[in-house]
Amino acid sequence: MIENFRELLKSRELLFNLTRKEVKVKYKNSVLGFFWSLIYPLIMLMVFYVAFGVIFKVRGEGMNYYAFFLMCGILPWNFFSQSLTMAASSIVRDGALVKKIYFPREVLPLSQIGSNSFNFVLQVLVLVAFMIFFRIPLSYWIFAFPLVLFLEVVFIAGLSLFLSALNVYFRDVQYFTELLLIAWFWMTPIVYPFTFITQRLPIWGQKLYLMNPMAHIILLYQYILYNPRVNAQAAFQDVELISWKSVTAVAVGSLILLMLSYLYFIRQEGRFAEFI
Amino acid sequence: METLVKGGELIKSGKPDPAVEVIGVSKCFRLYHDYNVNLKEKLINWRKRGYDLFWALDDINLTIHRGETLGMIGPNGSGKSTLLRMMTRIMKPNKGEIKVHGKIAALLDLGAGFHPDLTGRENIYLNASILGFSKKEVDAIFDEIVEFSELGPFIDNQVKNYSSGMYVRLGFSVAINVDPEILLIDEVLAVGDESFQAKCLERIYSLQRSGKTIVLVTHNSDLAAQISDRVLWLEYGKIRKLGDPWEVVSEYHEAMSIQPKEEESGTQDIFIREVDVLDKAGNPSHSFQTNEPLVVRVHYEAQRPIDHPIFGLSFYDHQGLMVYGTNTQLRGYDISLAEGRGRVDFSIPNLTMLDGRYFISVDIRSRDGETLYHSLDKTRHFDVKSSGRDIGYLSLDCDISWMEE
Repeated sequence: MIENFRELLKSRELLFNLTRKEVKVKYKNSVLGFFWSLIYPLIMLMVFYVAFGVIFKVRGEGMNYYAFFLMCGILPWNFFSQSLTMAASSIVRDGALVKKIYFPREVLPLSQIGSNSFNFVLQVLVLVAFMIFFRIPLSYWIFAFPLVLFLEVVFIAGLSLFLSALNVYFRDVQYFTELLLIAWFWMTPIVYPFTFITQRLPIWGQKLYLMNPMAHIILLYQYILYNPRVNAQAAFQDVELISWKSVTAVAVGSLILLMLSYLYFIRQEGRFAEFI
Repeated sequence: METLVKGGELIKSGKPDPAVEVIGVSKCFRLYHDYNVNLKEKLINWRKRGYDLFWALDDINLTIHRGETLGMIGPNGSGKSTLLRMMTRIMKPNKGEIKVHGKIAALLDLGAGFHPDLTGRENIYLNASILGFSKKEVDAIFDEIVEFSELGPFIDNQVKNYSSGMYVRLGFSVAINVDPEILLIDEVLAVGDESFQAKCLERIYSLQRSGKTIVLVTHNSDLAAQISDRVLWLEYGKIRKLGDPWEVVSEYHEAMSIQPKEEESGTQDIFIREVDVLDKAGNPSHSFQTNEPLVVRVHYEAQRPIDHPIFGLSFYDHQGLMVYGTNTQLRGYDISLAEGRGRVDFSIPNLTMLDGRYFISVDIRSRDGETLYHSLDKTRHFDVKSSGRDIGYLSLDCDISWMEE
């Protein structure tokens, strides 16, 4: 495993090149080009804002700037779901290459994560610019963004390596992933505040809910970007927003997941060329 | 064939310096009865083994020396490409080990790595990067790659607008111009037009001269014999023979063509009873030395009298290429009337062909050539061996003189 990792480090230029290719190619033949990566979350925002902000009024009492709250969840979620779907099918999609040339196969799923994280960072920069423009009080926690991003990348990489390898044998995986993500989305506090859960679910239900690592990751993003202690003081009054214990657990868990699926990936990669 | 000799000597004089060591390698594939393994079926049939085992390679031991060119030949499914793929680490052997000393690059059909939306330039960098070469290394040879590909003015166009020929040329140019120590070539020399092929061969020769190790997989056994220092003949996943290129290749030809495909056609108003291949003593023979005499004797029988029949004779090589052809009319020989039985002798005073197996076709036609009475295609064969080390089809007298100016 250490040897494989060393080889991966040697191939960082390839990883970078593939990432850049993905970024370049994604919107190559579209008129609006890169703006699509901004338009997509904006449309999602409008839909959810109208549906849940206006019609169902799920936004918690005492919660300001609901649109920005939504964005702080939608952007990292999209990063997660797009990376995962693209990465899960990446080995099979580039099968022609895998069958013909040797290179560390990890770079295929990882470059998908790379290109999506590039988009994600740009989206967040635009979001923050808007928040400054609208004079929304920000917190210094915003500088912790790279750390949270790193945590999410580790989690995504852990899942992606496993799924992309498994997908070589069972193409069901890529379809299953897409379905799973739909359910997963609603089990994560993105369009509704976490207080909905603490108010409406029994303790065991809350515990179950918090088994979802993405819930913690999204909560972290909301905490550092949206600044709920100021902007949603009333809504989050009685809730422990960040527990260091659970953040540590998610971080350690993600690292272990990453190591295990990397091991699985390495064990399987010698057989990829036969099965694609 | 300066390179061949050079390479050959290099190995004889050089110390043992392996570039690739193949140690007891076996590779097994699962042949699925029905490749519909989805999760559901897997769960239902989880006890049932839905595949047969197929040993593509069986205990192969092989050392490829540094600076050597090794040709790999063998019928389809003999394991050539599998062995090559395992050298590049695309696949792993089930048993045994392959040690590679030095930077290895495979020259496979590289169009696979191209992205249609990127330009030729961008694809060159991307492709080289996939092959494991850094931007710096590519910068240094970028102009060479472009020049080799003959794509100069189009290099900044998206490759989706390239013709398939341009596509292939670009892919090949990248792989052959990056600078690996060991180059693996799998059946790609059949790519591109003739002038491009010639250029690729030229490039391979120059790689040989610069001491690169080359492993070449090809169905063109003559090419393998021509450019290799040693030839490996694989069959059913085992080494059938390994050694001197011409020895291996000619034995391979023999084995591959034990039973020539004989075809018969014609109206048979006059028919060929028998064809004899005779040596200088008039005895039937199958093997000849270069420059020996040979007689092809055609026995015929006419069912009815035939005016001015034309008897034809041609020689083919193992690939079906006509080496020589003639007939009585072309030779200005007129057979006025064929009645009953008779025979026609084609006497060749000296066979000027080089090593190989040659097949004989004979036919009888009407004077105007309209009617084919009888034709026996590849009905007999003979082998030619030469005493020298010349290669190709023809034995020419070639005197060499040398002086310094």
